[in-house]
Amino acid sequence: MAQPFAKKDDDRDEEAEYSPFLGIEKGAVLQEARVFHDPQLDPRRCSQVITKLLYLLNQGETFTKVEATEVFFAVTKLFQSRDIGLRRMVYLMIKEISPSSDEVIMVTSSLMKDMTSRTDVYRANAIRVLCQITDGTLLGQIERYLKQAIVDKNPVVASAALVSGIHILQTNPEIVKRWSNEVQEAVQSRAALVQFHALALLHQIRQNDRLAVSKLVTSLTRGTVRSPLAQCLLVRYASQVIRESANNFQTGERPFYDYLESCLRHKSEMVILEAARAITELSGVTNRELTPAITVLQLFLSSSKPVLRFAAVRTLNKVAMTHPMAVTNCNIDMESLISDQNRSIATLAITTLLKTGNESSVDRLMKQITNFMSDIADEFKIVVVEAIRSLCIKFPLKYRSLMNFLSNILREEGGFEYKKAIVDSIVILIRDIQEAKEIGLLHLCEFIEDCEFTYLSTQILHFLGIEGPKTADPSKFIRYIYNRVHLENATVRACAVTTLAKFGATVDSLKPRIIVLLRRCLFDSDDEVRDRATLYLNTLGADGSVAETDNDVKEFLFDSLDIPLVNLETSLRNYEPSDQPFDINSVPKEIKAQPLAEKKAPGKKPIGLGAPPTAPSAAVDAYDKLLSSIPEFASYGKLFKSSAPVELTEAETEYAVNVVKHIFDHHVLFQYNCTNTIPEQLLENVTVVVDASEAEEFSEVASKPLKSLPYDSPGQTFVAFEKTDGVPAVGKFSNVLKFIVKEVDPTTGEAEEDGVEDEYQLEDLEVVAADYMQKVGVSNFRNAWESMDPEGERVDEYGLGSRESLAEAVNAVMNLLGMQPCEGTEAVPSNSRSHTCLLSGVFIGNVKVLVRLSFGISGQNEVAMKLAVRSEDENVSNTIHEIVASG
Amino acid sequence: MLLAVLFANSEGNILVERFNGVPAEERLHWRSFLVKLGAENLKGAKNEELLVACHKSVYIVYTVLGDVSIYVVGKDEYDELALSEVIFVITSAVKDVCGKPPTERVFLDKYGKICLCLDEIVWKGYLENTDKERIKRLIRLKPPVDF
Repeated sequence: MAQPFAKKDDDRDEEAEYSPFLGIEKGAVLQEARVFHDPQLDPRRCSQVITKLLYLLNQGETFTKVEATEVFFAVTKLFQSRDIGLRRMVYLMIKEISPSSDEVIMVTSSLMKDMTSRTDVYRANAIRVLCQITDGTLLGQIERYLKQAIVDKNPVVASAALVSGIHILQTNPEIVKRWSNEVQEAVQSRAALVQFHALALLHQIRQNDRLAVSKLVTSLTRGTVRSPLAQCLLVRYASQVIRESANNFQTGERPFYDYLESCLRHKSEMVILEAARAITELSGVTNRELTPAITVLQLFLSSSKPVLRFAAVRTLNKVAMTHPMAVTNCNIDMESLISDQNRSIATLAITTLLKTGNESSVDRLMKQITNFMSDIADEFKIVVVEAIRSLCIKFPLKYRSLMNFLSNILREEGGFEYKKAIVDSIVILIRDIQEAKEIGLLHLCEFIEDCEFTYLSTQILHFLGIEGPKTADPSKFIRYIYNRVHLENATVRACAVTTLAKFGATVDSLKPRIIVLLRRCLFDSDDEVRDRATLYLNTLGADGSVAETDNDVKEFLFDSLDIPLVNLETSLRNYEPSDQPFDINSVPKEIKAQPLAEKKAPGKKPIGLGAPPTAPSAAVDAYDKLLSSIPEFASYGKLFKSSAPVELTEAETEYAVNVVKHIFDHHVLFQYNCTNTIPEQLLENVTVVVDASEAEEFSEVASKPLKSLPYDSPGQTFVAFEKTDGVPAVGKFSNVLKFIVKEVDPTTGEAEEDGVEDEYQLEDLEVVAADYMQKVGVSNFRNAWESMDPEGERVDEYGLGSRESLAEAVNAVMNLLGMQPCEGTEAVPSNSRSHTCLLSGVFIGNVKVLVRLSFGISGQNEVAMKLAVRSEDENVSNTIHEIVASG
Repeated sequence: MLLAVLFANSEGNILVERFNGVPAEERLHWRSFLVKLGAENLKGAKNEELLVACHKSVYIVYTVLGDVSIYVVGKDEYDELALSEVIFVITSAVKDVCGKPPTERVFLDKYGKICLCLDEIVWKGYLENTDKERIKRLIRLKPPVDF
C-alpha cells in the first residue's frame, strides 16, 4: 500500500513533463514565498506560489510553527495588491494556515475593512475568514456586522454569515443565540440556499427548546420551502417532533404524518427518500402508514442511479428488522439486486431477503448467495453469515441446506474474523437444533483438519469434548482429534489431549482405546502436552491403580475449578517447594473483583464457543458459588434469586457502591459492591450500617465487613436479614457506609499506620414484591395455562386510574410483578384501546405462576384491568392479587 | 458533517485531500481505505457514474472524472443522498474549470482554481454553494447574477 501514498513528486521519470508540480519541495516553495514581500507585487507569480503551497497542504504536508508564521506574515502583505484573483487566493490561504491567536491581529484590520466593503463578495469572504480565525473576544467586535450580513440582500453574504454562525455555535453559543431574530428572518428568504443554511442554524440554536422546534416545523410545513436540501432538513425536524411528542398523540392522528406523506410526491428524489425513511422510522408505525413509503422505496430499487438504489435498499433493510412482512412485496426487485455491480447494494439486498424470505424460498436464496459469496470482501461475508445464522434459528427445519452452505464457505479462503463468524454460527446451530448436532460437529471436525487459526482449533476441540461424547457414535470423532496430536502446534496438541480425556471419561467403551492414545502422547516434545497426558492417564486410572470415582473424574474434567484464577495464581506464586504438597483447598475462594456476569452489557446474548447458554442463570450460579463459600451464609440454603445491581451512589463520587439483593427462603442478603476511587486513600474495616426501621418484617442477623478496600480494587461487604417464612416481605432500608480511612503516600503506595473513622451516606434501598419472583418464560402459554388446575385460578378487576397511555399501564403492572412477558405481549400496538398481556414466573418457594392481564382504556385515559392468576399453590395466587392491590 | 473530500489520480496518488473533523491519526486509514475502494470498484466505471458504500456509520460516494477519481465521505445528515448532491456540485465545478473531464495534467494546471471552487462548495464540513455558475463567478470575486 506504500504506492498510493506516494506524492506526485515521486512520480516516475517518463512522466517528467507531466506534472506542473514535479519535484515540488516544501523548502523551495517557502523560499519562493518571499516574492510576497516584493515592493512591486507580481499577482500572477504570487498566485502560482500560493497554488504550490495549497498543493503541499492538500497532500497532507504540514508546516512547522515557524514556517506557518513566516508564510502567514508574507501572505498578509498581499492585501496591498488590488488584483482580484490574488485576493481570492489570499483569503483561502489564510484559512488554510489558520494562524495562531497572537498572529491573527495582523490581518484583522484588513479583514474588517473588507467586511464593510461595498463589494459584496469581499464581505462574504472576509466574514468566512474572520470567523474561522477569530476567537471569542474579537467576535464581540464584529457581531454587529455579522447580524447585518445574515439579512443581507446578497445571498452569498447571507450564506457566509449563516454558515459561520453554525461553526461559531460550537465554540460561542451564547453569542450566536442572540441572532435568533435575524436568522428567523433569513429562514423566510427567497434564496434557496440561504433558507437551507438559516433553517439548519435556527434549528441548532433552538434544538433544546421542543416547543420552539415544533412551532418552526409547523410554520414551515405550511409555507414554502425552496430548496430540496432545506426540505430534507424539515422532514428530519418534523420526524423529531413526532418522536418527542409520541406520548401525547396516542389516540389521535399522528401530527405531520400528512406532511411526510405529501413529501413522498415531491419532485426531488432526495426529499422523497428522506420522507420515506422518516415514515419507516416512526415509532409504532402502522401498516397503513407504512404502505405508501414502501411503495416509493420499491420504485427506487430499480432506479438507474446506484445512490438511489443503495438508499432504498438500506432503508428497506432496516424496515425488515421490525416489519418483515411489509417488505415482502419488494422481494422480487430485491432478488435482482443480488447481481448488482455495487457490492454494498448486493449485500444489503441479500441480508434483507434473508430477513423477509419465507421457508419455501430458502433453498433458492441459498443458491443465489453461493454465487455471490465468492466475489465480495470478508466484511460483507460476515454480515451475510450472521443473517444466515438468524434465518436458521427462524426456520429450524431448513438446517440441512443452511448448514451445508456454512460448511461450504468454511472450506473457502477467508480471514480470521470471517471464519470465526462461521464457526460461531455452526456452534449456535448445534446448540439450538438437536438434529443438526451430529452433522455440525462433523463439519467442524473437517475444518480443524486444515485450520490455520490456533484459536479456532482450540475452541472447536474444547466444544467437541463437551458435545462429542453425547452423540450416538462418539468414536468417529476420535480420528480427527488424535490427528491434531500429530500435526499441530503445541497449543492445539495440548487441547486435543484434554479432549481425548473427556471422551475417555464419558464413554466407557472408548476408555481403553483412549488410554492407548494418551500413552503415545507421553513422548511429545512439549512439556504441557506430556504433563496433561500424564495427568489424564492418572485420573482415568490407566496405571491400574484405584481410579477416582467416575463422578470425580467428570467433575475434574468438565467443571471449572471454582476458584478465581487470580487467587490460584497468587497462591501458587507464594507456595514454596517443601515436603508439604500444594493444597488447592487453601486457595481463597473470595472473589476480589465483582463477578464477571455483572459487568456484562445488559441484554447482550453471549454467543460463541463454550459460552454459557443464558446469562441470568450464569449470574445466579456465580453468586451461588460465591455465597456458599462464605461460612456465615452457607446455611441459608439454595439461593432463589439475585437482583441486578442497584446503584446507591451517584456516578463519579468518591466511593462507588451498588447492592445486589440475594433472596433465600428465610433470608435476604445484601451484597454491597464497593469501589474506592481515591488513589490517596485506603479504606479498612468497611461496613454498611443498615437502618431497617421502615422494614418491620426484617431483622438483621449477620454482617460481614470488608477488611480493606484499596484504590480501584472493588470489594464486597454483606448484611443479612431474617424474614418471616413464605411471606414476600417488603420494606425500605437506609444505608450508611462506615470505614476507617488511611492516607496513602502516592509515591510509595504505602498507607499510614493510623486511620480516622468516617462514614458516607448512601441512597435508600427497597425490597419489593418483584424481588421474590423469577422471570421464567414458557414456550407455549396456552398449553401451560390449560395444564394448570382451573380450581386454583383467582380473578379480580382493578381500576388503575388515569394513565399516560395503555403501554405505560402495562409496563407498570409488569414491573410491579417482575414476571416474564410471553409471546411478545409486552408490546402494546399504538392507538389500541385494549390489550392482553401474558406473564409467567416462579414465585419464592419454587411455585410456578401464570398471569393473564386484560387492559382497557377509556376516552379519558382511565385504565381498567382484569387480572387472572393460575399457580400451583392457591395461596400464591392470592398473594399476587394482594401485590397488585397494594401496588 | 462532510468528513472528507479526496481527489486521486488513476494510480491512487493523492491530488487533493481535505478532511473536516477527522483526527490526524485516522486520516491515513481513510486515505488508504478510499484509494483501495476506488481501485477495486472504479475500473470500467463511466465518467460521473456514482458509486456508493458505507463503512460503519459513515457514507462514501465516489466517482471518476477523466483521469481523476473523486471521493466524498460524510456522516449523520450527510448521508448517501446529500453526498451525491455534493459530489454532483464538485464534478460540475471541476468540469467547468477544466472545460471537460480532465486529464491529470489539466487538473494540475487548474489546481489553484479547483481549490478555490472546493473552498466555495464545502466550508469546514458544510455544503455552502451548489450552483456552478455562481461558483464560477465567486472564485473570481464577482457577485452572483441571480439575485
